[in-house]
Amino acid sequence: MADEATRRAVSQIPLLKTHAGPRDRALWPQRLKEEYQALIRFVEQNKAADNDWFRLESNADGTRWTGTCWFIHELLRYEFRLEFDIPVTYPDTAPEVAVPELDGKTAKMYRGGRICLTEHFAPLWARNAPRFGLAHLMALGLGPWLAVEVPDLISKGLVVHKERQREAAAE
Amino acid sequence: MAADWEEIRRLAADFQRAQFADTVQRLSERNCIEIIAKLVQDKKLDVVHTLDGKEYITPAQISREIRDELYVHGGRINIVDLQQIINVDWVHVENRASEIAKSDKGVQLVLGQLIDDTYLDRLAEEVNDKLQEAGLISIVELCKSYDLPGDFLTEELSKRLRKLIQGEMDQYNRGVIFTPAFVARHKARIRGLFSAITRPTSLSSMIGTFGFQEHLLYSVLEELVNNGRLKGSVVGGRQDKAVYIPDIYAKTQNTWVDSFLQQNGYLEFDALVRLGIPDPSSYIKKRFRANKLLFLRAACVGQALVDQVEASVEEAVNSATWTDIQPILPSCLSVEDVGMFISQAMRNTNIQSSARVLGGTVVVSEKFISNCISLFDEAMQQKAQKEVKNNPVFLITEDDLRQASMLTENSLSKKEKREAERRKKATEGSGSVKTGGGGNAREIRIRKTKKKGRKDEDSDEETGPSQQNRSKQTEAPFMTQEEIVAVLEERVSDCPEEILSDLAEHLVRPLTKAYQEVLRTVFMSSTSSPSGANKKKSMKDLQEEVTNLYNNIRLFEKGSKFFFDETQVHISKHILKTVCTDITNILVNFLAADLMMSVENPSSITNEVRLKIVGKLPEETKGPFMKLHNCLNGKTIEDFLTNLETCAEVCGFMLKKGDKKKERQALFLHRQAFTEQLKEAEDPALILHLTSVLLFQAIFHCMLHAPGRCVPQIISTLTGRISVEQQQLLSAYQSLVVKQLVSQSQASKQQEEEEEAGGKANEAEELDEEVRSIRTQLMALAPRVKGLVLSQRKKSVTED
Repeated sequence: MADEATRRAVSQIPLLKTHAGPRDRALWPQRLKEEYQALIRFVEQNKAADNDWFRLESNADGTRWTGTCWFIHELLRYEFRLEFDIPVTYPDTAPEVAVPELDGKTAKMYRGGRICLTEHFAPLWARNAPRFGLAHLMALGLGPWLAVEVPDLISKGLVVHKERQREAAAE
Repeated sequence: MAADWEEIRRLAADFQRAQFADTVQRLSERNCIEIIAKLVQDKKLDVVHTLDGKEYITPAQISREIRDELYVHGGRINIVDLQQIINVDWVHVENRASEIAKSDKGVQLVLGQLIDDTYLDRLAEEVNDKLQEAGLISIVELCKSYDLPGDFLTEELSKRLRKLIQGEMDQYNRGVIFTPAFVARHKARIRGLFSAITRPTSLSSMIGTFGFQEHLLYSVLEELVNNGRLKGSVVGGRQDKAVYIPDIYAKTQNTWVDSFLQQNGYLEFDALVRLGIPDPSSYIKKRFRANKLLFLRAACVGQALVDQVEASVEEAVNSATWTDIQPILPSCLSVEDVGMFISQAMRNTNIQSSARVLGGTVVVSEKFISNCISLFDEAMQQKAQKEVKNNPVFLITEDDLRQASMLTENSLSKKEKREAERRKKATEGSGSVKTGGGGNAREIRIRKTKKKGRKDEDSDEETGPSQQNRSKQTEAPFMTQEEIVAVLEERVSDCPEEILSDLAEHLVRPLTKAYQEVLRTVFMSSTSSPSGANKKKSMKDLQEEVTNLYNNIRLFEKGSKFFFDETQVHISKHILKTVCTDITNILVNFLAADLMMSVENPSSITNEVRLKIVGKLPEETKGPFMKLHNCLNGKTIEDFLTNLETCAEVCGFMLKKGDKKKERQALFLHRQAFTEQLKEAEDPALILHLTSVLLFQAIFHCMLHAPGRCVPQIISTLTGRISVEQQQLLSAYQSLVVKQLVSQSQASKQQEEEEEAGGKANEAEELDEEVRSIRTQLMALAPRVKGLVLSQRKKSVTED
């Protein structure tokens, strides 16, 4: 699963209490509030640890989330767009995060750029539902995936830094 | 509901805000260190990191801290301590510290310690306190207590010597600081102490006992002696063995030596050494340059004593006596010194040749010694006489014989000289003893064969004189030392014993020499006299004796003719071995006398000696005598007789053939002798032998000289001539004798066996009994057998 640092980070993210999906009109706002609080907390935490690595925003009712995430490898910053929807069965089912830019470049990804999370993640999530939220998803799901996949992709030359890309284009 | 959404919107906004808020720009520690390292490397920054790596510090700060610490620690701090306090690398601390020491005159770096002037001032004050208290302080001590190098301390303290420290440094030895008061006190003590000294005293011992400062003592003492405050002198410079000698001591020493020499006439070096004079002989030479002193090994002697000794020596020489120097001389002189002294005295008085020293201390004049020798003259003469009489047998040795042969060839004038040598050799050489012994042994053997029965007596007789002779032989060098001492003791009564023995030792040589001389002269006279006046007489005697023997031999030969074959041979052999040998010896001895080789008792000449003598004879006599000698080992008497006749002619003897009258006389004498012997005899075998021989003579009117083992044959020839009773008696007695002899030999064998195996006691007893019975029978028969002859004789007399 995730490394020690991640685990420590996750342990500091406040757990959620409300068990409610987007269909649950009454409790969803409550849940969403908790999600936001957890995310704010997580982001603050990351910034404090000089470990800020993503941006997120949602639509008005909080069912679709978009943003960017980046990874620093060999002093270069690789940035990718990301998007996901909240499934109706949320929070029993984890949302499927998609990084469309990397679609087709790696085997650990479903059609449409949805990342293929580790087999540990699903049981972990299921065990911890409904206490896990989006912040946990980012910390335990996307974070480790990026840490594993991006260096691999860079070494394979499938991902090229944008400036280099530009330089290469200029040439 | 709407409120919720409102709140959500607000939260979303918060979220965005949070996301877009500036990230805190943080450098990790690692990066920081790398950056600074880079800066330092590029010389853009001059900092030093602390040892725990948590802080950086600038050199200026280090300097400031060092100064602070120095101040805090009272002006003296170790760089090692500094390094621990400041907690930066040691190199930086040291660099900064040395920079400080360089730039600041008030701070010094000593033995890895920073020391500033305030500290040194304080130290000087402390030292001053101590100094005032003790009066003296050594830099070494300070070094130890302050743990600072001596040179540094000396320098720093001497800088402050009259400012902060009230005292001065010794100019010879900069290791000590003392106060004037201390010096004055010291000086006073030294002055007092050395004024009181009356005998040489080593300064080191004074330093030890009174705790003076060595350097101070020397300089003060020198000063005091030089300006005359102390009467004395220091010998040995500024060293351990330096000695202070007060004048008064030297004076008393000299007076003692003077008075001792005056009183006793000598000086013992040992005594001077005990007085503390290291080189006595040179001291004496210096002091008594005018006096004439005799230097010996361990003492020197004054003129008076020398004169005294010389006088007594001279007196001894002049009065032909001896004198013991020992009582005159001081008892402390060693034996060696006494010897030196006496020889010196004798040299001075010029009497070395006429006196000699005995026993180390006794001077004996030569005259006295020659007197002593003359004491022995008489004894020597006597002894020589005796020796010559006893000795000549043993004086003949191979050497002598060889010498003799040379003598015959040499002229007579040389004879005497040779003879003297010969004598000496004879007496000195041990060869003569050997020859004598050998001769005796052989003699004994010859006698044994002659008469069985008298074996024991004979051998006893023979061994006695032989031993005597041998002991005499070894005594030949006049007297032993002990004997001389004994004689001297008798004559020279007042001499101490050791000197007598010494004297005796001296005398042994000259006496022996003199004795040889005397012996020679005595011998000469004794040998020359018979060759002169007595010669004729002895010639006559000899002639008679030879003739007698010659006739006897003829008669014996006649007697032997009555026997046949074996027996005759036995008898003639016996005769040859006894009577004929005797006559030969007499003749040989007669000739030997001419060659100075004669023997007192001719019968003692053995085969070998005879052969040697004969070998040395001149040619014309040698041949016949050699033949004669060979005949002795032959079988027939006739040959011997013919040879004897020629020999006698050569020697100038007349051999008269005996007439009847003389023959009868000889027969009678012979019988008479035998009867006498028979009367005395007790041994059965001898009785039988004599009886049979006498019977033979009575019947055949012929002399018989037969060995014992021919007795049975004699008896067998007698058979038929004597009566049956007599015959029986004789044969019975004979058988008994034979039995006894057999049993005796058996008994001796048995004894041997018994000794080997033991047991057989019964048999031995039986034998014993047998022997006893035989003996009793023999005893019973003996008078009868004797009577046989004795009565026969009467008969025969009546017949005559």
